[in-house]
Amino acid sequence: MDRLRRAALLIRLMEKLREKGSWCGETHVQKAVLFLQDLLRVPLGFQFTLYKHGPFSFDLRDELTSMRADELLRLEPQQPPYGPRIAATPRTERIKNLFRKTLSDYDASINFVAERLGAKGVADLEGLATALYVTQHSGGCWSLDQRSRQITEIKPHISYEDARSATEEVDCYIRQAKEILAHEPAA
Amino acid sequence: MPKHFHEIRDPIHVFVRLDTHEREILDSSPFQRLRHIHQLALTYLVYPGASHKRFEHSLGVMELAGRVFDVVTNEQNITDEMRDSLPQLKSKDDLSYWRRVIRAAALCHDIGHLPFSHAAEKELLPDGWDHERLTRKIIDSDHMRPIWDRITPPIRSQDIIKLALGPKKANDLSFADWETILSEIIIGDAFGVDRMDYLLRDSHHVGVAYGHFDHYRLIDTLRLLPAPGDKKGGSHEPALGVEEGGLHSAEALMLARYFMYSQVYFHPVRRIYDIHLKDFLKKWLPSGVFSVEPDEHMKLTDNEVIAGLRESALDGHKEGHIDACVIAKREHFKVLYERNPNDVEINPEAGQSIFGALSAQFGTQYFRRDRYNQRSGAPDFPVRMRNGDAVSSLAVSETLNRVPIVSVDYVFADRSIFSEAEKWLKSNRNEIIQPKLEDENDGST
Repeated sequence: MDRLRRAALLIRLMEKLREKGSWCGETHVQKAVLFLQDLLRVPLGFQFTLYKHGPFSFDLRDELTSMRADELLRLEPQQPPYGPRIAATPRTERIKNLFRKTLSDYDASINFVAERLGAKGVADLEGLATALYVTQHSGGCWSLDQRSRQITEIKPHISYEDARSATEEVDCYIRQAKEILAHEPAA
Repeated sequence: MPKHFHEIRDPIHVFVRLDTHEREILDSSPFQRLRHIHQLALTYLVYPGASHKRFEHSLGVMELAGRVFDVVTNEQNITDEMRDSLPQLKSKDDLSYWRRVIRAAALCHDIGHLPFSHAAEKELLPDGWDHERLTRKIIDSDHMRPIWDRITPPIRSQDIIKLALGPKKANDLSFADWETILSEIIIGDAFGVDRMDYLLRDSHHVGVAYGHFDHYRLIDTLRLLPAPGDKKGGSHEPALGVEEGGLHSAEALMLARYFMYSQVYFHPVRRIYDIHLKDFLKKWLPSGVFSVEPDEHMKLTDNEVIAGLRESALDGHKEGHIDACVIAKREHFKVLYERNPNDVEINPEAGQSIFGALSAQFGTQYFRRDRYNQRSGAPDFPVRMRNGDAVSSLAVSETLNRVPIVSVDYVFADRSIFSEAEKWLKSNRNEIIQPKLEDENDGST
């Protein structure tokens, strides 16, 4: 996917997240993009690896920085102790207009992610994203218990109960996403 | 009586101290090779003082990595929360082992560098290879493994690889939080000592003051802190942060990075020399790419390339003669187009459109494009305030919020066609940079 088309999708995702009450800091965007790409199969082309708060894409981090350099995004500093929020600038209208068809094609997927993750905080998103990562890397053969234990090994500050609850929630998302995937354009 | 500790004079850190095991790494052939790899490629053609090598930089990175490790693991500087999150902090044996690993990793973090460092990396290695992958291969090679085994207790080469490459480049390995933090100490975005050393050292050799910052104060105030969260709570994941008293030094580091990137590393003439060197190497190397076999890799340094370049420049029958002449006679391509705010507002990839249009009009051989976007996130790290609270750096620093992002987009033209191309571009530029609807051109701009 070329850079500006991908930027248009990221902008729309961030707008939808904020509509649904998201803080929309970098961690929120990182985890929402993980679900959009790896669960909803939107071909954004980011590579995720385990790092800050679970799965993290260095490519996505760089892309968000590039979008700030292009003044498509800006950081909104917050009162201490909180990290900044990311907001789209008026300049993004031009980019969204260029890619109306792409945005329409993936509208349902973006809404799916925003509705489920928009209200979540960093701690919840860390658990959910790590649960999705572990589930997808287990090849479908690990039980709920095995995956939950794996999450606590990767992130020792997440309790077993929280890991299990996140894994159950991700299993639910996976079932719900099948409906969307049946109607998505081919990647 | 044999000496167990050795001192090396250094213009940045005064003395770099190392023990006998570290001296063995220093004396190994992969490390000695770094004496012949320029830190800043052909930058010495623009800034004559920039003739320093990866060798002394690697020593500096080891020195700083040891200092940072000692500060952040000092009992006085650790909170109970961090002690619970990172059990290694409670074990003297663990700390001793990891101190050795982090210094070895810092020393070795660049041993996979190709001749002329980054200048020619992307297109001159087989698909899927970069200097970090070569570094990994050498750390795990027969040249280095016996050294790791002789240390008491032996060091696992995989641990050195993790810390030298970090989760981004060693993404097939799983990292504990502790290992992630130690790799951040070396190559991290915010406080990586690799960056600290190259800013200070490059600034010193290039002869500019832009890269200076108070690294003594910064290092003394680095701490392990919980990552800042949002109003729904943080995750308690440990991260490398700074005491409030070191915030201004951290700001100075970020500004130093910005100025060194914009004034030195992305100086347009330096960049076009990198491109000309790449063009030369594509023709000069036997198969157009560097070997990724450690023994072959170690045979080739800047010295062999410089000798080849001079030979090709003097002999019209040699491979790469034209590109070698461009460098030797300083007849580099000139900047025809440079990214600017007005064009970016219309089309963030205006440079691509202009490069494509010029190439179509006059021929690709007359033009080169150089596009770079800063590869790092916002400088968001935890800061421990005087009241003990850990807060986001961007919530308390106006300066960090305003550090500009480096983004360059140059189109260079051959001198033989420069005036004509410039005139043509002036007449057609406004039309060229207009982006098109995805229905019109399937989204390309």
